[in-house]
Amino acid sequence: MSTPEQVAATRPTGGDEAIGSPRPTRGLRSDALRRLRRNPMAVVGFTLILIFVGVAVFAPWIAPYSPKDNSWLSEVRPGAYPGPSAEHWLGIDPLGRDVFSRLVYGARQSLLIGVVSLAVGATVGVGIGLLAGAFGGWVDTVVMRLVDIMLSVPGLLFAIAIAAMLGQSLTSVMIAIAVVNIPIFARLLRGEMLGQRAADYVLAARSLGISRAGIVFRHVLPNSFTPVIVQGTLTLALAIVEAAGLAFLGLSGSDPSAPEWGRMLTDAQVALTSAPQLALYPGLAIVLAALGFTLLGESLREALDPKLRR
Amino acid sequence: MRVYGRFGRIIALSATAGLLAAAAGCSGSDSTEDGDRKTFVFGASDDPKTLDPAYVSDGESFRVIFQVYETLVALKPGTTEVVPSLATDWTVSDDGLTYTFNLAKGVTFHDGEAFNATAVCYNFDRWYNFKGAQQNGDISYYWQTIFGGFATRDSDSAPESSRYASCEATEDSVATLRLTQPSSALLSGLVLPAFSIASPKAIEEGGTDITVTGDSIAYSGGFGTKVVAGTGPFKFVSWDRGERLILDANENYREGRPQLDQVIFRPIADATARMQALQAGEIDAYEGVAAADIEAVKNVGQVVERPAFNVGYVGMNQKVPLLQNRKIREAIAYALNREGLLKAAYPEGAEVANQFLPPSQWGYNSAITGYSYDPERARQLVAESGETNLTVEFWYPANVSRPYMPNPQAVYESFAADLEKVGFTVVPKTVPWTPDYLQSIQADGKGQLFLLGWSGDYADPDNFVGTFFRETTAQFNLTDPGIQGLLNRALAETDQATRQKQYEEVNQLIFDYIPGVPFVHNRPLLALGKNVVGYQPSPVSLEYFKIVNIEG
Repeated sequence: MSTPEQVAATRPTGGDEAIGSPRPTRGLRSDALRRLRRNPMAVVGFTLILIFVGVAVFAPWIAPYSPKDNSWLSEVRPGAYPGPSAEHWLGIDPLGRDVFSRLVYGARQSLLIGVVSLAVGATVGVGIGLLAGAFGGWVDTVVMRLVDIMLSVPGLLFAIAIAAMLGQSLTSVMIAIAVVNIPIFARLLRGEMLGQRAADYVLAARSLGISRAGIVFRHVLPNSFTPVIVQGTLTLALAIVEAAGLAFLGLSGSDPSAPEWGRMLTDAQVALTSAPQLALYPGLAIVLAALGFTLLGESLREALDPKLRR
Repeated sequence: MRVYGRFGRIIALSATAGLLAAAAGCSGSDSTEDGDRKTFVFGASDDPKTLDPAYVSDGESFRVIFQVYETLVALKPGTTEVVPSLATDWTVSDDGLTYTFNLAKGVTFHDGEAFNATAVCYNFDRWYNFKGAQQNGDISYYWQTIFGGFATRDSDSAPESSRYASCEATEDSVATLRLTQPSSALLSGLVLPAFSIASPKAIEEGGTDITVTGDSIAYSGGFGTKVVAGTGPFKFVSWDRGERLILDANENYREGRPQLDQVIFRPIADATARMQALQAGEIDAYEGVAAADIEAVKNVGQVVERPAFNVGYVGMNQKVPLLQNRKIREAIAYALNREGLLKAAYPEGAEVANQFLPPSQWGYNSAITGYSYDPERARQLVAESGETNLTVEFWYPANVSRPYMPNPQAVYESFAADLEKVGFTVVPKTVPWTPDYLQSIQADGKGQLFLLGWSGDYADPDNFVGTFFRETTAQFNLTDPGIQGLLNRALAETDQATRQKQYEEVNQLIFDYIPGVPFVHNRPLLALGKNVVGYQPSPVSLEYFKIVNIEG
């Protein structure tokens, strides 16, 4: 394996001089950014995300038609759905709608679910982790046992149960995915904070008489946050897949004609033998979007890992 | 193998032999031709509820009951024409109140009991004297539809009066049925398997207890589950719930022994699994072939269609203020692209409906045309309506396939898109078919716009338009003296020509009122194995296995 980091890490002396950088030391951020830029994995991931987000944001301008417009119903016959053409780049679905437009609008739904569920899950998770990490003692014990219980239930199953309980709506899907992510973030931050609490700079700060809250918020928390960022990126990938999975199982917004990748997969099922492309397109979209976030997340992890830093 | 030694080898050998024997036994049991015996295996979607004919109204129970029992009058195969059965002929008095049935002679039930007028009247009296839970609308549905109420009224939901007066065995083979008021639909209704004549001895020996807890009904009596005796071409052998129900040919059948030796019903809930079972040769027939599966089925067998004797419609609940505006109702009728949907998602034989009666039913008004797809006209009507809030709930059932609606969600999505195109805001509402959907729409009247339909039970227009509109029902909430008055007069009318005119007229009234938009008369599809012959698809889904044969 010869990813640039590993090559650099095995060199006896720093690679900075070798690429002509005059500065002997640099901040974690700029260092990480430089590593990322040089990592093709990160570049590919970032590009995929850029496309995904761009498509989602500018969907109305990119999609040639409305995703629910069924004006082409008369061209459809049972088991025979028109394939790609100049007017319909990816063909027409069994209900006379433009597949490409639905795919484009589907990005919007996926991004929305991903970002909102991540934001909610990460915020609550970080809050819980902070509570446990900052106070320790019995608070830590109680909170972490609850987190352990949540973690012991398989993620998707947990999400299905919550979404089914809350009923058919987009909000319940977002809540379901957010809840699944809460324990992951809580545990991550708490573990990181415990490690930082024993660090020398914390002892130093304490000896200077800085308040406990000051130490937690100004020193421990910022230093514990990098793994959370990494996890956040990876979680987005997971959220997109989970949202599609829930939609596939029939748990998504109440409107069955809403353009959603998971739902497009379900609908394509009945025509799998006659029109496999209808399952291929949304499947590919899910894979590429998730891959983008995974690649970036993994690269971030490597770039931010202090052990790999020189 | 060597490590086992000689003894181990023997054990291993005998085990292998045993497995082989077991495998051979398994593969033999379901095959279409078991030696010289001709076995016809039908892939049902579910088990029957019970084989007590008076307690059921569902297709899976009826299919089996139809082969085991017979009714006084029957249907000519493949039609809705009433022909003699256990009654060889009959007369109706001029006032329409007395029916005299001359019964077939020399007929015995499967348990050896003689079939006669006493047995016929025993059955009628049993139905009329249903008590308590037996008066539940789900249990004695067809008695209540055709005859109304009971000797005593134990349930608030049971009809108040009964059309049934008495049944008398005037001679050994003459049964006289008396009514309290004439009903033109009586003979058509008596063909229903719910009015099968069962052996009185079997009914008494088996017992007919039922217990109702909430929505579930338990048939705890032995009649219909263990003891089954009718006069039909096949007799009950065994029933392993969830696995198979076996019938054998009745050697003493009055019309002669059927060609098949054995009929097996296997419940297979999933439509795709049924198709696979047909491909694998495990079953010889199933109903409900999806439009997209037609080619695949044709590769291994035959696809036959039932005549279109159903209607699928978009109902409009008159309780909803927006839908009380006739311009809005008319706009909806013009907005729906019915033809486009049928061409894209229904099998070829599906016809666009413009009234609630199928074309093959007398009373159908062939002069009616109209409300063809015209979004421009719909937009104009919406503008004229003066309504500003065009938000409407649109209900459709989840996870179900009906003869008139193989994929409700597709119908919903298509129609919702049509409605949004002309300015409506459609709010989707969906719940599972049973019990939630039927309860919400038919009992609670929660629907605003909703998808529903009807498969005809018997050939009388009252079975369609009467069911929907004669009384004010929760689903439509239609109160219109013109339509309802005419429907009531037509039901009591005994002159056929007058009746026909009345129903044609009522269909025009309904068309003008628009209490809903009928959109399809579908031809439900059946799959048959290659060597099945004589299977005659029935408009009312009642198919005689006695005329089915397996060739080759």
